[in-house]
Amino acid sequence: MDITIFVPGPLRPYCGGASELFLSAPSVRAALEELGRSQPALYANVCDETGAVRRHINIFVNTSHMRDRDGLDTTLASGDAISILPAVSGG
Amino acid sequence: MSERVILSIGTKKGLFVAEGAKTRRSFSLRGPFGPGVPVYSSLIDTRGTPRIYASCCNPFFGMKVLRSTDLGKSFKETKSAPAFPADDGRALANIWALEPGPGKKDLWAGVEPASLFRSPDGGDSWEMVPGINNHPHARQWQPGNGGLCMHTILRDGNRVHLGISTGGHYMSEDGGETFTAANNGVGAGFTPDPYPEFGQCVHKIAGHPDAPGRLYMQNHGGWGEWDGPGGRRPDIGVLRSDDHGKTWRSIAKGLPSDFGFPIVVHPHDPDTVYVLPLEGATRTCPGSAPAVWRSENGGDSWKKLAKGMPKKESYFTVQRDGMDIDNLKSPALYFGTTTGQLWMGRDGGEEWTSLFDSLPPIHSVKVAVV
Repeated sequence: MDITIFVPGPLRPYCGGASELFLSAPSVRAALEELGRSQPALYANVCDETGAVRRHINIFVNTSHMRDRDGLDTTLASGDAISILPAVSGG
Repeated sequence: MSERVILSIGTKKGLFVAEGAKTRRSFSLRGPFGPGVPVYSSLIDTRGTPRIYASCCNPFFGMKVLRSTDLGKSFKETKSAPAFPADDGRALANIWALEPGPGKKDLWAGVEPASLFRSPDGGDSWEMVPGINNHPHARQWQPGNGGLCMHTILRDGNRVHLGISTGGHYMSEDGGETFTAANNGVGAGFTPDPYPEFGQCVHKIAGHPDAPGRLYMQNHGGWGEWDGPGGRRPDIGVLRSDDHGKTWRSIAKGLPSDFGFPIVVHPHDPDTVYVLPLEGATRTCPGSAPAVWRSENGGDSWKKLAKGMPKKESYFTVQRDGMDIDNLKSPALYFGTTTGQLWMGRDGGEEWTSLFDSLPPIHSVKVAVV
């Protein structure tokens, strides 16, 4: 099951400069866990120590926010793309 | 190269570094480093080759520790930041204190939620200190307005003092292996019991190497008019201990307010201590006129130092790490405001000038002569 992870610019230094990563996973949760194993520095920017996605990080599966589907349990199909995006916030 | 005065200034929008000659006539400014990201704590580590460390509290991507080996001309992230074990259940929210540890490359970090971490390699790896992080009180501490933060780490040989808001003062006498609450005489205005065993909102603790056993504390004061359960609690805000923090007594008499955040000791005289009183209700300067207050007798009496500062219409706060003092023969005080001004008080605060007027809101100021 080939899944593409799109990495935003600020996080590319944590994965060797890659803008895209490729892995196999049946769900968003499994994809993040695989990211934790293969790219621990990148993972620490996306999820905190408890495994929760950081508050100001949004995870999209194709064009849908994961919260509008099944959150971390959102299932993935071959060819799906996960986008990691910083939220619009600050001041 | 002649000695330079280095200021590290943690702001809401990153870290700035100011550098000047020992005359302190002018300072150049570099930064922001970690641009756009709040910096609550920094350390100018003068052991060996000087290094500057800064906590970089990225709201998007989590906490980082920045390190500079060229006096703040450039910074790089260390290899890791403090992190709780996966099975702990807590997640790092902020880094409030960075202090040198006992070994040459040891760093200690006080964090939010209130916990202590140690690094043996200048911030590249970190381990949690279980003696305080798993203390039976730890899950009972409550956050203050700034969060549940460990903001003070003071080392005196094998003694380690920690300040926690709101947890109180904790002390170790075995190098940090075990800790006990030591708050005898430290009042709390926000609990029915005016003198609880722990849970006080300690704002900052300071000591001096020439006066072992003596500590000064800025506690959460401003409860002189309280008329609820437990009654009035005047003068609980500024305290002193002469027995390594086992007992504390008020030294707030003579101040316009016992509320404030920073407390700083003169580098050459342990009897000289500085506070910056704020109104408890607004956290701004009494009468809208800022002033540092100095005691030269360990808190028995206080003198107002405000020459050169505005006499009215100033409504800033100076946060707990927002004031420091250099160690030159005639030292200067420095404080940064939540309205972005950095003030310097020559001759131990006798005469004040504004060094920078339009920085982002300032969280912390540290100074060293290197």
